[in-house]
Amino acid sequence: MRAIFVKTLADLRRRRLQAAVIFVTTLLAVATGTMALTLIAQTRDPYQLAFEAQKGAHLQVGFDNRIDPSTLVGTPALIGASAHAGPYRATDMQFQSGGHKYAVTTIARDNPGGDVGQLRITGGHWPSSGTEVALTRSFAELNHISIGDRLKVVSVPQEPVLTVVAEVVDIDELRADVGGVQHAWVLGTAIAPLTAKDASFYLMDYRFASDPTSAQLQARMNTLRASVPPDSVTSSINYLFVRTVFHVSTEILTGVLVAFSVFALAATAAIVANLVTGIVISAYREIGIMKAVGFTPLQVIGVFVFQILVPAAAACILGIPAGTILSQPLLASNSQALGLAYQPTFSPALDVLALAGALLIVAIAAVIPAFRAGRLKPAVVIANAAAPRGNSGRWLRRLASRARLPRPIVLGLGEAAARPVRATLTLLAIVLGVATVVVALGEARSFNKIYTYEGHIGKVDVVVAKSPALADSDATQLINSQPETTRLVAETTATITVPGIADPVTTLGFRGDSAALGYLLSPGRWFNGPGEVVANRGFVQDAHLNLGDTFTGTVHGQALKLRIVGEVFDFTAGPGGHVLMLDWSTITAAVPNLTPSSYMVTLKPGSNVDAYVRRLAAAQPDLLDVQANSTGNTAFLTVIAGVLFGIAGVVALIAVAGVFNTLLLSTRERVRDTATLKTLGMSPRQVIGMVATSAGFLALLGGLVAVPGGVALYRVLFDQLSSLGGNITPLAFYDVFAPWELIAIPLAGIVVAVLAAIVPGRWAARTNVVEVLHAE
Amino acid sequence: MDGRTLVGAFRDGGGKNGMSELVRLTDVTKVYQGGITGALNGVSVTVEKGEFTAIMGPSGSGKSTMLNLIAGVDRPSSGTVSVGGTLLGKLGEAGLARFRRDHIGFVFQFFYLLPNLTVLENVLIPAQLKGNVAPARARELLDQLGIAEVANRYPARLSGGQQQRVAIARALINKPTLLLADEPTGALDTRSGDQVMELLGGVHREGQTILLVTHDAKLATRHAARVISVVDGKIVDDARLDSLERAPSEVIRVRGEEASR
Repeated sequence: MRAIFVKTLADLRRRRLQAAVIFVTTLLAVATGTMALTLIAQTRDPYQLAFEAQKGAHLQVGFDNRIDPSTLVGTPALIGASAHAGPYRATDMQFQSGGHKYAVTTIARDNPGGDVGQLRITGGHWPSSGTEVALTRSFAELNHISIGDRLKVVSVPQEPVLTVVAEVVDIDELRADVGGVQHAWVLGTAIAPLTAKDASFYLMDYRFASDPTSAQLQARMNTLRASVPPDSVTSSINYLFVRTVFHVSTEILTGVLVAFSVFALAATAAIVANLVTGIVISAYREIGIMKAVGFTPLQVIGVFVFQILVPAAAACILGIPAGTILSQPLLASNSQALGLAYQPTFSPALDVLALAGALLIVAIAAVIPAFRAGRLKPAVVIANAAAPRGNSGRWLRRLASRARLPRPIVLGLGEAAARPVRATLTLLAIVLGVATVVVALGEARSFNKIYTYEGHIGKVDVVVAKSPALADSDATQLINSQPETTRLVAETTATITVPGIADPVTTLGFRGDSAALGYLLSPGRWFNGPGEVVANRGFVQDAHLNLGDTFTGTVHGQALKLRIVGEVFDFTAGPGGHVLMLDWSTITAAVPNLTPSSYMVTLKPGSNVDAYVRRLAAAQPDLLDVQANSTGNTAFLTVIAGVLFGIAGVVALIAVAGVFNTLLLSTRERVRDTATLKTLGMSPRQVIGMVATSAGFLALLGGLVAVPGGVALYRVLFDQLSSLGGNITPLAFYDVFAPWELIAIPLAGIVVAVLAAIVPGRWAARTNVVEVLHAE
Repeated sequence: MDGRTLVGAFRDGGGKNGMSELVRLTDVTKVYQGGITGALNGVSVTVEKGEFTAIMGPSGSGKSTMLNLIAGVDRPSSGTVSVGGTLLGKLGEAGLARFRRDHIGFVFQFFYLLPNLTVLENVLIPAQLKGNVAPARARELLDQLGIAEVANRYPARLSGGQQQRVAIARALINKPTLLLADEPTGALDTRSGDQVMELLGGVHREGQTILLVTHDAKLATRHAARVISVVDGKIVDDARLDSLERAPSEVIRVRGEEASR
């Protein structure tokens, strides 16, 4: 055993550069893999912990204000809830802070405790007077609102001022950064002055003895709806939805991380196998001598495997903690959003798993080619300094010769294919590297496209939110009187009860040229008259309806006959969520006094958006919130793009290391040929050109495979990720690559490979002819 | 050191028998391994165009070093090397490569054919590096050397003698000013070695300047018109066998004495 270690250490000293290649590639792959493992293992726990600790509500239901709240007290027993909270009186409220206006659902609640839906106070104290309010921490942080800030309520004519006295974590709410109207809390006695006419409702929180399934929740909602007057249930949200939305960003990230980690490990395994093959090929005589002095075949294999495992183990020792540390910011963000005290997560079991997994993969990749060394016969290998030369590139060389390419290029092309196994393993690393870049680019752009689509970027320039205190006609007249206004689409939100759908369906009603908002429909078309409606896929599936089907919904007690004319692509409804979109005339036929909550304004080309926004806001500073339309909160996109490109860079770097490694092996193996060529008059530049041609050709081949492969993989992965939102993604979202980019990516790969060839190329060009040929 | 021979070498360097000077080494020293080992010690010699010169000496005497310096694949520690009026010390790596491509043909002891190229491709390599396409000349050379039938074979399938003929054809493809042969028969059996030397003799008779390195005195005196003996990095003898001044047997005797010192 001692002999193996002595020989291994001696070989490591001699092959420092190759050991460095193994170290770097393993380090990158292991760090990425550990990140993915840590996120997968830890992301479910924080939510579950917080949900239990805060006695989260399995079901939250909103009831119309016409219902007698005393009747709601009997509903928990009716649906088998083991605990409940409420009814809480609530209202939709708009307030102004720091020049911006915000909409929240304000709930009357005298304390943060209770049997269901406890609120965890992370800063300040619970409101103790009618002028104090508590906000969710994620909302306050996102909008830079602090404890002590004063909020002017603009949704009621009196415009009372509230002071923020607490930041809380509500486990039953969607995180502010992923959307959804946030909650605010005031004392029960404070809610009335904050409630606009007809703007109040009741909220009930239900908790069950065990976590109900989606079907069970739906059944309980049906029971509940049947037990109260028609249309009394105005909204509902369940814990499954909240949990999924909470995890959606992490799930996207972990999905990408897992895929890319597999790529990184596969590329590393290819490099290791390539390297060991190369070492065995070049060390024939040495292997013969080892055997001649008494090494058994197993010991010979051991020497080759250990010289790979030593740098790989060193890489794991650094890479595993690095991966764990790199995953902490996301875990911290999750914990913080839930109001949990963040504690760095180190799982020894997970680390051991990562270490064992990485070393196993590397060992397997090393053992297979090392077996060749074990099998070699001493007499044969002592007589031959190296393995027989690979001659598989003849056909390629001949082809290039016929094309009258310069000789260094012809030789380089032949060299690239001289050893098929080496070429294949190198190609694998290149393909994985390039494909990862393609996937990363595609995913990032598609996500960006979705955000742009959802935000109507490019189609709407200004979004105006109206206070209920301002008349629709006044707001409309004001906006239309601005000379830059070319299109005005008013939007309102209502909920419609639909047979077969447990929760009231969020419905967007549009007035004006809403088709111009650019919603994508597949199949079908945008509505163009009363009674027509478009719905998202989740709705169509859950309601068991098809395009052209007619159904009767109920809104405010009024029956509404609707016909589905299109399936709209929509992310805002969230996973498993439902949404309907219809014309203003359709909804106001049932609810005549409905007013828009916001206006989407398109300006004349070349208009000064900022000036428009300032002017309009100044016209009604308290009753209009005027904002230039943008993607809004893109923190999620930034994180996704950062992770995607970061890891794609890592895998690409591993691929570059693979090319470098192959060239190093080839140039060293062919050092005598290079010396001969130099003697025959090959200039240093021609030598570098020859080596670079090898690299460039492999990169070209890799690119040709990787680009279509990467695009296909991107589509599969994006399908998976977008399906988290309950959608079938329209083709338009896949249209993220310009044709020139699909050509430029492999070309860029060639450039990178050629750059990676410079060092081995220069090394070959500097071959000392006398030393090399004299050594023979 | 035989001072008379050294002086003679310079004295005769101006164009004996109507020939002009092609190679000039002036006080050349080559030291390897940080000055511990001296391969050449202050060697000065000229070689004239059209000559068939043999550099003879035992292993480690410095004869191959001399050849390498003339070929421009190595640089002297001091002194100058000029070939065809070109001072090699003034050329960079690319310049030396061009110089070798244009002026030098090299035949090695172990042939050094590129194993993944056919015979014809091997022969064509130097011409292609110059940007020339000369398949006709390559086939003509192969024909002259008696190996036309193996043009499309790979080196591994040839005998040693055939491989060395291919190497000679490769060395001649660019019509070099100077053909350098480093122990060209060293890896061959006697019969093949004789054939190779006959070929080199024939090439010389057609006007090719040849500089042959060998440790075999009989081989040197049988084919070369001039034999330079090198021992321990110094020229110890420079005999022109075609001038009747020195008999081959005497050269062999001197060589044997120097080697036994």
